[in-house]
Amino acid sequence: MDAALAITIGGLVQGSVFALVAIGFALVFRVTGTVNLAQGAFVVLGALTTYSFEQTFGWPAALAALAALGVAAVIGYLVAVFIFAPGLRRLPPSGMVMLTGGLLTLFEGAALLVWGSQPYQLPPFSGYQPVSIGGAKIPTQAFWDIGITAVVVAALWYVLQRTTFGKALRACAENPNAATLMGIDVERVRVFSYTAAAVLGALSGIAIGPVVSLQFDGGRFFTVYGFISVAIGGMGSFAGALLGGLGIGVLQQLGAAYVSSIFATTLAIGLLIVVLVWRPNGLFGRGARREDNRAAAAHPLGVRTRIDPRTARSAFITGAVVVVLLPLVLGGGALSSLSIAGIVFIAVMGLDVLMGFAGQISLGHAAFVALGGYGAAIATVRYHMPPLAGIVVGLIASLACAVVLSLITVRLRGIYMALATLAFGLLVDSLAVGLSELTGGPSGLTGVPHFSIFGFTFADARANYYLVWGIALVVFVLLANLLRSDFGRALRAIRTDQTAALALGIDVPRYKLYAFLISAACASLAGSLYAYYFQFLSPDMVSTPRSLEYVTMLVIGGEGSLAGPLLGVLLLVILPTAIQPLNQAKTLFAGIVLVGGLLLLPQGILGVITAAVARKERRTTEAAAPPGSVPT
Amino acid sequence: MTPAPTALAISGLRKAFGGVLAVDDVSFDVPAGTLTALIGPNGAGKSTLFNLLTNLYRSDAGTVTFFGTPLAGKNSDAIARLGLVRTFQTARAFPGMTVLENVLAGMHMSARSPMWAHAFALASAGREERTMTHRAVALLDAIGLTGMRDRDATALPLGSQKLVELARAVISRPRMLLLDEPAAGLNDAETAQLARLLVAIHDSGTTVFVVEHNMSLVMGIADRVLVLDAGKLIANGTPAEIQADDAVIEAYVGRAAPVTP
Repeated sequence: MDAALAITIGGLVQGSVFALVAIGFALVFRVTGTVNLAQGAFVVLGALTTYSFEQTFGWPAALAALAALGVAAVIGYLVAVFIFAPGLRRLPPSGMVMLTGGLLTLFEGAALLVWGSQPYQLPPFSGYQPVSIGGAKIPTQAFWDIGITAVVVAALWYVLQRTTFGKALRACAENPNAATLMGIDVERVRVFSYTAAAVLGALSGIAIGPVVSLQFDGGRFFTVYGFISVAIGGMGSFAGALLGGLGIGVLQQLGAAYVSSIFATTLAIGLLIVVLVWRPNGLFGRGARREDNRAAAAHPLGVRTRIDPRTARSAFITGAVVVVLLPLVLGGGALSSLSIAGIVFIAVMGLDVLMGFAGQISLGHAAFVALGGYGAAIATVRYHMPPLAGIVVGLIASLACAVVLSLITVRLRGIYMALATLAFGLLVDSLAVGLSELTGGPSGLTGVPHFSIFGFTFADARANYYLVWGIALVVFVLLANLLRSDFGRALRAIRTDQTAALALGIDVPRYKLYAFLISAACASLAGSLYAYYFQFLSPDMVSTPRSLEYVTMLVIGGEGSLAGPLLGVLLLVILPTAIQPLNQAKTLFAGIVLVGGLLLLPQGILGVITAAVARKERRTTEAAAPPGSVPT
Repeated sequence: MTPAPTALAISGLRKAFGGVLAVDDVSFDVPAGTLTALIGPNGAGKSTLFNLLTNLYRSDAGTVTFFGTPLAGKNSDAIARLGLVRTFQTARAFPGMTVLENVLAGMHMSARSPMWAHAFALASAGREERTMTHRAVALLDAIGLTGMRDRDATALPLGSQKLVELARAVISRPRMLLLDEPAAGLNDAETAQLARLLVAIHDSGTTVFVVEHNMSLVMGIADRVLVLDAGKLIANGTPAEIQADDAVIEAYVGRAAPVTP
């Protein structure tokens, strides 16, 4: 009984911090309609800067905490003014989810450079001596944390309900256009809410710092749990965020204590998926807002300028010849990076079919890479199947999951689709770690054989290079043919205007399912090749942060054209290995690339290239045409 | 002579938004092979009625039957596959797709080659794609958009965008075409071209049902005119009958005050 009480109180402490993060989420969502995946990054920032002020500079705890809140406010404000607010003006809601995902990556990369990869723990606010209540020993920090949350909730309620500023904020949440007409500076309210959410995040970090240890990439954990809390409670609801946070905290601690610490996360995510499907607006949610079909679907991303088919064909042939000839001049190290790039290219082409063509955002693409990878690894290591059968096992698992996920998410669109795929990715992550009998748990599965077929084993670097790139070229050609046909046109029609697509007799759910299946199959194939290539697979190699990397490669390369992913993959896989200093700051680099790409190059690198080629072609035509004639 | 079969039969159709009856117990038939127009003042419920036909809105009561098939509970795409194809009031060409690709997208329902045949570039799939392209190009020629075929459809002037949308609907070879204010936003020359096109489409045997504000366009080309006012059908007849109908005149211009001596 005492144990149960202690666990419940532990859950409430954890939950009160989740609730603070969730309230930050709810604040930004209410005012801007954006799911701010970077929210967790401010938790880590708050805890680690407090640690530095306190331990490194020797400042008193209260001063260090205040200073850390100040730092979070300044950084939050700068991010809001220079990244978040410009993003809101330029990007659709789904693009904003990617932008904040990029911010999370950027913060993790920066924190890695500043604080390194070791964990930090803050000292408790009032000593280590616990208080005894009803026989259970309760650490004093519990009172602090629950108290802080209570004060924040009260203060927030007062500001929203009783002040003019609160009214302006609610007006922006209800209808930004009308608010602008009423003379409210919407931009200022948005910046304020983002900054306030950053400070709330940092405050949660300072509160939880003495309870758990935090490291540079701990932000994901809080983003995930804060997001689960707020999604279960209802995206824009503060009461929902509070109750969702407390509930998830208690559920997680009870689950960890009585079921399994590894499956506590699975439990929470399972609950999230049920809520997302059953009540997309959450248990306490209000009606979904700003879900205009066309606004959500028609995003300005993607390559708009078309290349002349002949130019495209000769570019393809040149590329294919280069791919075939490279091993003659390159050594093992370079070939190995290129092989990895080829594998990732297959996965990102699949993502392009789903995102670039059909316009469905997926933040869980790595989950299908994981299914393909673990399917192949488990089939060959545990059941001694031949490698080809391993690929088939992975494909069956991926396609089956894709069908189920597609059926339960068929009514979701825009950001809810992105969030459901994110939740699915997290679920697969937790299973990859949790089902250690099969997967080898966090340390991974060793002893995966090289790929072999008809008695030939692809053992050395060159053989693997040709295997990977051979498959990549075949996938490229098949997809390019398919996407040029009626199928590709149907997907692009769905992406920009679902109602008009339906009016032409296009069976939208069926085509979305096809796109999803193709993307899952590509990811799965890449995952199997990954496992055979490294002869090893661990959860890190195929977990949710990889999903964000795939999205980054696609966006920076250029969506909606199969060549775009290649450019993105080369940029993010080859560049960091080629330039050593960049390798250390790889995460930071990926974050900057995604954020910068979304804001500055919405058509990706390929878009810039095709626009330049088109300009040059126009100039040549104009120069060739005799004066006075009209170029066609 | 046997009477023409009924293309569209509407019976007791009703739709309320809150307390407002946008469509109030409307019943009428559109005989096959006619060019029928639906007119009415702003807010009469014309667009609502249209959206009820393709189940973009769900009706509160009433039935819609298309060549004998009840449309209740069918999705918009299934209705299109039955041969009832519509355009929208605001031009909705697909952005990011060229004019040619937009028109080709209209041939989705007649595309027969399976996905794998395209992926493996089989000769049959290539042939079908070429045939489709020929048809699309011929249609673009006919409506004077040949020079625009490789331009982004949404970069065209509004009039041309509406033509692209019309071409996209026509090329699907519908049994009946529903046009939602095709002349809205067009200048006089474009409207005249539209009128010629509608007559040509009608002459080719397609039943056409058009919602339109432009009275002279409607009176010039329609076989039959239906008038909707405040959600109710107030008249149904030939253009000449409609022009002489008191109720229609009242709905449009209001009744003159009785002259007192």
